Amino acid sequence: MLLSAEELTYTAHPDTGPLIVLDAISLDLAAGEIVDVRGASGAGKTTLLRALAWLLPHASGMLSLSGRLATEMEPTQWRRHVTLLPQVTSLFAGSVRDNLLIPWNLKVRAHDSVPSDSALARSMAEVGLAEVALDRDASQLSVGQAARVALLRVVLTGPEVLLLDEPDANLDDDSAAQVAALIERFASAGGAVLRVRHQRDDDSATRTLQLQDGRLTEVGP
Amino acid sequence: MNELAGGVIAIGWPQLLLATGFIVVVGILSLRLSLGLEKDLAIATVRTYLQLIALGLVLRWVFEVDSVWLVLAILVVMMAAAAQSIVKRVPNAPPGILGSSMLTMLLTGFVVTFSVTGLVVQVQPWYKAQYIIPIAGMVLGNSMNGVALALERTFADLDARAGEVLALTALGATPWEAASSSARVAIRAGLIPTINAMAVAGIVFIPGMMTGQVLAGADPLEAAQYQVVVMLMVAAATALGSVLAVLLSFHRRFTTDGTYLEKGYRTDPS
Repeated sequence: MLLSAEELTYTAHPDTGPLIVLDAISLDLAAGEIVDVRGASGAGKTTLLRALAWLLPHASGMLSLSGRLATEMEPTQWRRHVTLLPQVTSLFAGSVRDNLLIPWNLKVRAHDSVPSDSALARSMAEVGLAEVALDRDASQLSVGQAARVALLRVVLTGPEVLLLDEPDANLDDDSAAQVAALIERFASAGGAVLRVRHQRDDDSATRTLQLQDGRLTEVGP
Repeated sequence: MNELAGGVIAIGWPQLLLATGFIVVVGILSLRLSLGLEKDLAIATVRTYLQLIALGLVLRWVFEVDSVWLVLAILVVMMAAAAQSIVKRVPNAPPGILGSSMLTMLLTGFVVTFSVTGLVVQVQPWYKAQYIIPIAGMVLGNSMNGVALALERTFADLDARAGEVLALTALGATPWEAASSSARVAIRAGLIPTINAMAVAGIVFIPGMMTGQVLAGADPLEAAQYQVVVMLMVAAATALGSVLAVLLSFHRRFTTDGTYLEKGYRTDPS
């Protein structure tokens, strides 16, 4: 199994009192899988993704990647292999190229080779952004373009598991189809994907899970 | 004309009372305009009298005792008070910044104060209270303002950039890599007031120390030279203090595994 989570537990503490958001959840993701997680608003879908990315303070449980425990790695190394794309798109000041190359400015990838401009342009074309120049100011991109650049930035780093929080929310049908195609290519190349979605069904998912009352149940392919 | 004391026109109690007349006028104005400031003005005036007269008496005693340990003890008390003041002025800070503020004030205070008194002014003996305490006061007072501003901006900017910080940490960024742009913005903010003051010193205003020396009968050029030293010292102390404080504190908003503690995940009220 590529990604395994056991007994993931998280209790939130809102003003109304303790609330169990993740109730000893266990989950396995195999290479090549695209798994959708559905659930009502506030059910804890984003919280689950953050827990799997080792980005949820005060959570407990056990995570492993290809049999290797998360605790045997540095958290930054875990996130390099199991990468979360948050729901809110965050592009930084600078050009599209600057944004796509941000991961290679980080210490965790200090020894990795940086993608060339031609590789970046090719990847941009694959998600329907051929007309967007790498020199373009990222702040001038449309919502749909920015979402695709943010997804591309994560995919280009070559993680083993992608955790996507509403990757096609606020996208038009064409953009959403391009995003789905990119995700399918990622999975067919041996990656695993966990997506939080509650909008359209794009037939990409190999399994669908329902998160309710802190527990995950399988509801279909 | 009052009696001259060491080239200074001495001010006695009658003159102090006369100066208090200004506050009485402001108090009457406050009453007539219903500003409601009379009580605050009265308390502030009494505090000014008590605190500054007490300071004068303490400094007179310290100068007479001339003890290295006493001077060092006073410096430590001043630094602790500055650190405490920083914590109060940064309400959005995470718990535990008192220690890093104290360390910042200790390092900044000792390094800059003794560099100036030892290397530039060349005070003999090195602990001479007449020089050490006023210079340390200026170093601490000014760097404290810069440090408080830099810390406040660091944590405010991190909260404003929480989405970016999450995106960066999700890509594998360390806490410093995720927080560094906030830290840079904050350190710049902490330094700008000092740089602005340096740019207009002598044109828009005569700095306090130079004013004091001129009033005390010093040659204006010598007073200006002292003031240049003081302004450069203050700039160095503010820069050093802001950088140190931010570097020692920013990680308190991250968990030990490098996750940013957004609002909602904090156990403290900030």
